[in-house]
Amino acid sequence: MSRPNASNSSAVSEELRPTAAAAKAREPMNVLIVGVGGQGVIMVSKALASLAQSKGFEVKQSEVHGMAKRGGTVFSHVRFGPQVWSPTIPKGEADILVALEWAEGLRWLAYLKPDSGIFICDTKRIVPPFACLNRRPGAPLRYSRETPAEVREHVAQAYAIDATRMAEELGNERAANVVLIGALSTALDFPAEDWEKSLAQFVPKKTIAVNLDAFRLGRSWIAEARTRVIEAEAPATRIPVPAESPYSVRLEITQEWCKSCDICVKLCPERCLRLNAERIVELAQPDKCTGCRLCELLCPDFAIRVHLDRVAARGAPA
Amino acid sequence: MSSTIVDSAAEFDVRDYLRKEMMPHFLCPGCGHGIALRALLWAVHELGMDKDKLAVVSGIGCAGRLSAYIDANTFHVTHGRPLAYATGLALARPDLHVVVITGDGDCLAIGGNHLIHACRRNLKLTCLMLNNEVYGMTGGQVSPTTSETRLTTTTPLGNSEPNFDACALAAAAGASFVGREVTHHVPKLKELIRAGLAHPGFAFVEVLSDCTEIFGRKNELGSSAEMVLRQKSELRPSAYRDTVNTPFRSNDLPTGVLSKRDRPEYGAAYRKAAAAQRADAAAKDGARTGKGEF
Repeated sequence: MSRPNASNSSAVSEELRPTAAAAKAREPMNVLIVGVGGQGVIMVSKALASLAQSKGFEVKQSEVHGMAKRGGTVFSHVRFGPQVWSPTIPKGEADILVALEWAEGLRWLAYLKPDSGIFICDTKRIVPPFACLNRRPGAPLRYSRETPAEVREHVAQAYAIDATRMAEELGNERAANVVLIGALSTALDFPAEDWEKSLAQFVPKKTIAVNLDAFRLGRSWIAEARTRVIEAEAPATRIPVPAESPYSVRLEITQEWCKSCDICVKLCPERCLRLNAERIVELAQPDKCTGCRLCELLCPDFAIRVHLDRVAARGAPA
Repeated sequence: MSSTIVDSAAEFDVRDYLRKEMMPHFLCPGCGHGIALRALLWAVHELGMDKDKLAVVSGIGCAGRLSAYIDANTFHVTHGRPLAYATGLALARPDLHVVVITGDGDCLAIGGNHLIHACRRNLKLTCLMLNNEVYGMTGGQVSPTTSETRLTTTTPLGNSEPNFDACALAAAAGASFVGREVTHHVPKLKELIRAGLAHPGFAFVEVLSDCTEIFGRKNELGSSAEMVLRQKSELRPSAYRDTVNTPFRSNDLPTGVLSKRDRPEYGAAYRKAAAAQRADAAAKDGARTGKGEF
């Protein structure tokens, strides 16, 4: 686990990117690929692992994808070199971190080598349900607020790519992971044509053409980014937030039917109901109510009825 | 009935299906039967059933009382016999959707025989058994589904009888649709009842309901809300059972559609046989009169 010390780090600053030649030396090359279930993290790591294997390296790949079928966190460790012992990358030892989702990238940033790690990240945001402050459409989200510029300050070499939009422009949003493979390929010393061969094995036959385009696009994007700084948009500005909810919630409570059983009060996810002085349910915080209907469904006495009244779209003629 | 037609495309409002002059109902605060009743009416609404074509038959007990609140054709009959009455009704009026609402004691103890024979015949009707593990209306006596070690007024030292798995019983007796759900999951319960109502044979649906005032109080199961939440935290998934010190129910009780089979429906078979017999008799009659003339 020897790391170049501070005195010679200035000497290597010119050539920060690790090369396959460096990997041939004792240390294995550590590539950590992270993202959200369904984005193609495993496919990226498979393409890399198979390529490294075909070049005669010993490869170890270790992934966790179990519960993440769709929407959960997925990561894959790929290590290759003349001799690889452990299948997992220790914290602070990853040479390259490839993130297919912005917050996932930040989550794993501590795994990157602090002085020479390369961070390649899609600025795509996939907001998990529990990051929603409330369940009303358009509500503010609890999502990482770091901008790409801020992250760049802490990482030796960082690229924030809007790979998803680039892939979308090519005609297939799902090729975003291959755009990132293109970016990754510039950091490793394998020839581009071998990458393309490896890719073709792992993408569906029908999409080989678009994926190869995506790969080249990713490569050329990095080449361009090396010569001048491309200011990636701050991810927070990417998703338009509707100014207001499309409906308003109204609770109709039949007071004579309520028996004060308290089920609605205790099971309301927003805790916006309460029993009043007469032990009859009332909506204490109308602004918090999202209209999820749980109180209506679980009321054994049919005392609550949730009305979702459509609000006329803004700008529509009155 | 002036309001028999409810627009099934409109959003479901349970009050369209209730006899509002009977409300509020007599059930205790937090009783799960009210939630089950909503799920039933919601399923009826989604299937677009005409209230005039819906016949609800119920026995005695808290669950049996539910039929009184439904704005449809309802029939409140003797203890344990709703399936027997419903069998007659469904045979005589195949145009009706016959739904039986019954409790665990009503269905499995007093009406146990009626249940197994209704399952065996596979007549098209839906049997909704609301299982709250106790005879609530009469003061909390032990029922065939009371879990082991539970306290009731007749088992002051804790119940030592093994309890019935009603769904296994119904499936073994031949019911062609068997399912179970908890009241906590109202939309899933609605879907299950809806599938049962649409099934062309005998559908047995067990609803795991809470008796909060009698059973819950006696066994110190907490407030109504805690009992509803416990359905989720302690009942499921069944694999967690061993790790829970005081399981809510003593059996592994899986939920969802447990058994669905394709069996001949009794009503259709009966009408066919009766028609054949009538034709036979008419032919004999014709032959006899023919002979007389000759």
